[in-house]
Amino acid sequence: MSTETAEKPRATAAAAAVPDLNKIAPTREERLFLVLSIFIGVISGLLVVSFRIAIEWIRLLTLGPAPHAGQYRLLLAPAGAGLIVAVLMWWLFPGASGSGVNQTKAALYIYNGFISFRTVIGKFITSAIAIGAGHSLGPEDPSLQIGAGVASMIARKLHLSRESLRLFAPIGAAAGLAAAFNAPVSAILFVIEEVIGRWSAAVLGSVVLSAISSVVVARWFWGSEPLFRIPPVTLRDPRELTAYAVLGVCGGLLALVFSKSLGYLRPRLRTQSHWNRFFQPSVAGLIVGAIGYFGFPQVMGPGYAVMDQAMHGQFAWKILVALAVLKLLATTLSFSSGTPGGMFAPTLFIGAMLGAAVGTFEKHYFPLLTGTVGSYALAGMGVLFAAFLRAPLTSVFMVLEVSGNYSIVVPVILANTVAYLLARSLQPVAIFEVFTQQDGLELPSMEEQREERVLHIEDALRPPDVPVVSGVDSIGAASDLIAKTNSPAFLIRLPGGSWYAMRQDELTSTAATLTGDTPIERALNSDRTPLLFPDLPLDSTLSYFARWPVLPVLNRANKNNLEGVITLEDVLHRYQEF
Amino acid sequence: MAVFELRSPLTPEERLYKRKLIFRDVIALVSLFVITVALAVLTYLLFNSFLRRRQALTQTWLLEGEKAMATGRPKEAVDAYRSALEYGPLQRETEAKLAMALSAAGHQQEAVSYFDTLLESEPGNGQINLALARIATKQGNESRAIEYYQRALDGTWEGDGYARRRTVRLELARYFIGVVDYPRARTQLLIVAGNAPDDPDIRMEIAGLMEKAQAPSDALEIYRSIAEQKPDRIDALEGAGRVALALGRFGLARAYLEEAVRHAGFASQPDPVQSQYREMLADATQLLDLYPGTDLKVGERAQRILHAATVAQTRLNVCLANGKVSDPQVAGLAAKWQQVPTKLTPTDLARQPQLEQSIMALVYTTELETERACGPPNGEDLLYLKIAKSPLVAEQQ
Repeated sequence: MSTETAEKPRATAAAAAVPDLNKIAPTREERLFLVLSIFIGVISGLLVVSFRIAIEWIRLLTLGPAPHAGQYRLLLAPAGAGLIVAVLMWWLFPGASGSGVNQTKAALYIYNGFISFRTVIGKFITSAIAIGAGHSLGPEDPSLQIGAGVASMIARKLHLSRESLRLFAPIGAAAGLAAAFNAPVSAILFVIEEVIGRWSAAVLGSVVLSAISSVVVARWFWGSEPLFRIPPVTLRDPRELTAYAVLGVCGGLLALVFSKSLGYLRPRLRTQSHWNRFFQPSVAGLIVGAIGYFGFPQVMGPGYAVMDQAMHGQFAWKILVALAVLKLLATTLSFSSGTPGGMFAPTLFIGAMLGAAVGTFEKHYFPLLTGTVGSYALAGMGVLFAAFLRAPLTSVFMVLEVSGNYSIVVPVILANTVAYLLARSLQPVAIFEVFTQQDGLELPSMEEQREERVLHIEDALRPPDVPVVSGVDSIGAASDLIAKTNSPAFLIRLPGGSWYAMRQDELTSTAATLTGDTPIERALNSDRTPLLFPDLPLDSTLSYFARWPVLPVLNRANKNNLEGVITLEDVLHRYQEF
Repeated sequence: MAVFELRSPLTPEERLYKRKLIFRDVIALVSLFVITVALAVLTYLLFNSFLRRRQALTQTWLLEGEKAMATGRPKEAVDAYRSALEYGPLQRETEAKLAMALSAAGHQQEAVSYFDTLLESEPGNGQINLALARIATKQGNESRAIEYYQRALDGTWEGDGYARRRTVRLELARYFIGVVDYPRARTQLLIVAGNAPDDPDIRMEIAGLMEKAQAPSDALEIYRSIAEQKPDRIDALEGAGRVALALGRFGLARAYLEEAVRHAGFASQPDPVQSQYREMLADATQLLDLYPGTDLKVGERAQRILHAATVAQTRLNVCLANGKVSDPQVAGLAAKWQQVPTKLTPTDLARQPQLEQSIMALVYTTELETERACGPPNGEDLLYLKIAKSPLVAEQQ
């Protein structure tokens, strides 16, 4: 993050020198937004395709066409790649370390959406080398950052406002992730759940547009086939849900172990000396390579082919458990050493192995109860995603999108919910927030943001206890009513469902110039109270109190019908209570 | 974009700035487009070079797998096919080959899982259903095996579907023979025979299976028709002779076997095969010499019956002398032979056709029972036993 600070955003400075764009071209950014979203999607898609090809080429060159245990290159390739990556990160691309998710969030919340060109290039090169040479990391999170970087660069070149710059980063992030995952809905949801934190109509259209564009590009190259060959997914017996609940418990516990391991090792490695840290990626690579050399080359790289095999029941449950544990160890080492690469693929790998292990175990011991191992592996992927990455909504949609089978939705929701709740109760801080804290940054907690309660007008509403008169009533009648009730203000109901709130002093000054039998509506100013309804956000009322002493809250079905009234004191009081 | 809003209450400086802004935006978008096109071309070239490399690797591993399968190394084939699929994923044919290799390597569960996945995308694929049928046969799941065979027969096939379905039907017939379900095997074979092209090789295969399915009459019919059409086919002659002999049609058997032995290709056959057919021919000749056929003159036929009675009684006496008196069946036979008049002449027999039949029936029963009680016979007893076991005699009895 230090380099991001060094590379100060210049777009804002440029923006300050120009005349008021809101006056000259008020809708310019809005219109550019959609066009640029497509460009961002297409360019991100192309870059992510190139990124994946780069990983595959490096894999072929370093690990060979068919890596298997006992090959010395399995030891040498990741260790050597670790050294090269360390050199590149140390001298050329200091902002390239990490997964990419937190870096994108930091760019969004701290650097006004600024991600440098150098960071994008660095992420591309270093991640491709590390993942291709066998480090236990995935390409999705770097793709997310590459996409966000592309969006940031484009927005800067067009001298868009600071606000737009901030909005563009998640658009690019969704595009990058969608292309890497070949799953646009999951990518959009992840970005909303984990990067933006809240549903925002302003950005949703552009996020969808860029994600779809990038997936179209990716599919043009890779084809429309899903990431995995999905075996027949069945739920034979409702009692089988118990087994999925067990999977949820196992997933929750494993996510805790994974989270604790990273939380323990990463800060310790980061506080080591300069030279120690320089060699960490290489040493981590050597250990990961040793795992591969001594019998488990499956843990090297993202491991999609292995997940596919696990889904098709090609491993015994003991092997699956071993693979899950070793992958956890390998990923902890690779990631904690600062090697650039993502956590998505390893999380899915561990989840798939755990799910397949539970499925195989139960299929072996309770053959009449369980369905296919593939459905457990799929559910397992969702379980780890929900429990470890704390993106429960994305986890469900990801499984559905990857499998294209909605019959698995009930077991997936059950298992994911169990795992998510268990992991959350045992480890309240989500892993990305743990990393943020370790990095000394203060980024908003997406989990808290998602669950943040928004107050609505109905929360501060009180019954209509101010006098209400009709617009056709005379000024004299209104004066009498106010005098009787001694209310500082009153409401005037006007034809067509519009309302007016009048202060007592305003009435007094009006009465001084007009006769008492004049209808009060002729004494009103041209403006009217805003149309407010109980379901609107409470803070939306604040700007009106400078003009109106009291605001009528109306019924959506009949605007002549008053639901209640609200004053500035009511609003402030409610917020103080909240 | 700003380009659409040319009329607005702006100062001249602002208008100028707006024009610049429009120009800048247009330039930026055009540049972006050019960058996108350039990147697309670059990605396309990179992707194609990678694709070619992948295709080459896919081919290499595919050939490795096929070689391994051909040389009986299914485990190595599994690794090779997996590598092939890694570089050329989602290729149904390779997936099917991997599944078959998995099955051959003994990983039946994985193979079934693979095939099930393939079947989901192509439920009517004949090849996949056939492979699943083969796995089910290995697993001993008869109902599943038959179901998959039937789906394979009804399914779609690449290339010559007609020939592929015939092969499947023959395989299904073989399966039925293996599980000793001869009636169903015979049904399948009759369907194949009815639709088979006029190809002697195919018809020979069908006839061979007919023999195994215990349908020798059908087999003989096919062998004979082939032998008539292609007299140079020694295997048809041998088959016809062999089946005719088994059916008890000794004259026909001798005729075909003689032709087979005389055939130019007979000498080039392995010695055991030659001696087997020579023995069959000798048997057929001897059987014809012994068999009291209805086409013989009355006197000669009576002579043969009397000779058969003598041979059978001698065999029974030897059997009894070997301590089998306690066997009720054998003892019962001795009693039956005692009821037969001792001094019969050929003329006596010629006058009593009923007696002829009952004596021959007793001869066959004696040979069958003594074989059971005293072990296999030899010499003429063996020949009478063969007649006794022939379906022709069974029909007569």
